[in-house]
Amino acid sequence: MRTSIRTDKQTFTRNNLLISGLLAALLGLSSMPGAAFDLKGVLKDAVEKQTGTQPAAPADSTAKQPEASTPAATASSEPAAAQTGDAGLKEINWKNPSKEEEIALGREIAGNLLGAAPLVKDAALQKYVNSVGRWVASQSERADLPWRFGVIESDDINAFATPGGYIMITKGLYRKLTNEAQLAGVLGHEIGHVVKKHQLKVLQKQQLLNIGAGFLSSKYAKDNKLISKAIGTGAEISARSLDKSAEYEADRLGLSYATRSGYEPYGLTEVLQIIGQTNKSDSSVALLFKTHPHPDERLVALGDAIGSKLDNIKGGKTLENRFYQLKN
Amino acid sequence: MRIKLKALLFAASLVPILHVQMAMSGEAGTALKNDTLRTEPFADAKSSGSFTRGENLDILKKQGAWLQVKAKKGTGWVRLLSVKRGTASTGSQTAGVLAAASGRAGTGQVVSTTGVRGLSEEDLKAAKFNEVEVKTLESYTLSADQGRQFANAGDLKTIAFSNLKAGKGDAK
Repeated sequence: MRTSIRTDKQTFTRNNLLISGLLAALLGLSSMPGAAFDLKGVLKDAVEKQTGTQPAAPADSTAKQPEASTPAATASSEPAAAQTGDAGLKEINWKNPSKEEEIALGREIAGNLLGAAPLVKDAALQKYVNSVGRWVASQSERADLPWRFGVIESDDINAFATPGGYIMITKGLYRKLTNEAQLAGVLGHEIGHVVKKHQLKVLQKQQLLNIGAGFLSSKYAKDNKLISKAIGTGAEISARSLDKSAEYEADRLGLSYATRSGYEPYGLTEVLQIIGQTNKSDSSVALLFKTHPHPDERLVALGDAIGSKLDNIKGGKTLENRFYQLKN
Repeated sequence: MRIKLKALLFAASLVPILHVQMAMSGEAGTALKNDTLRTEPFADAKSSGSFTRGENLDILKKQGAWLQVKAKKGTGWVRLLSVKRGTASTGSQTAGVLAAASGRAGTGQVVSTTGVRGLSEEDLKAAKFNEVEVKTLESYTLSADQGRQFANAGDLKTIAFSNLKAGKGDAK
């Protein structure tokens, strides 16, 4: 145990030299219009976290302070998170994570999401969604991943993807669907995020920034526990917005994968039409609308990308007859 | 008498057909972008008018990926992704129908109390890792072969189609 910490520190110091250079490059990027995400905000956040200067809200401080001061004690108080999280994630090569590391990271986030909303207890439903998802994923550029899909117990309208191929759709969204082509489109969108590593890239950048910020304050940077905590493998990554262009890209890929799979190509656009009709003040779409461009904008962007490319695509299936009906 | 009955049956058989067309006509829509109306549902058909973004439209008919709409400046066919179907009011009606279908409405009471829960940003931030649930999720993992069998059962056939690239109007 002790030796592993020591090697971590060594690699960490090595990384710092590399990363300070990378950090400078990243900061240069942030001045570009429409940079992928709010680099300055994340950096500020990271610095505050590392140095402990954040004027934390009461609820926040009770959750985070004890871990910062007594890392050893919390390791035993959160056995599940500590076992899975630290074992798989401590040695991640953040510059160029392997497929296994990516899956381990995605598993951690998926586990947190499932902690917020468990799977719907209906094995036939889960099997059905995995069948559709697996077939669509097989038409993607990353058919080799061990894709897994789940419907989670929530009336919110949303869907989530985590690195490595963990994809979850809420019961609230599933309820809005009327055929298999629509489900294929929704899952295709999430598969697109995984294929393009959208979430993984955000985590990588955040990690580089965290390490860079830690470098400024070496006292805290050496606290390995604090660093791994700051990586952000919790479900909050799923509450964060990706760049708009990442969402449009996932829409284009999702529609492309579903089309290649033999489905009616307009499944995803039908779902966007349905979601677009939901009242904005409805709490079930609050997070979705906060983290995604409005469905109307997504429809326009998809329409521009499609142009006449679907004019000769015929015979796509909707398969409403075998679409699995929710039990409640 | 016999002829009368036949006529009646014939008339009755028309009802559903008429109904289908009626159901479509008059559906409200909104223009998502400026676009040209066409006399037929083809990109190279003659122009029969135009509409501007945000304009209210009457959706008359759907044929494949095309909608026939009535706009301020003419009636004609347009690609379906240029139009947002429905309005806020029809949207809430739809929600009502869905609620009835899922057994959430009807008695005037909320049927299920345990199933109703959201998934807010706060919920996600406070979430704790659940090993049992992840293992269950992973237990459903299917192989590519199993996916193919499922596709075959539904007579799904792969087709060649390149990934769509960003259109010129794609906002950054």
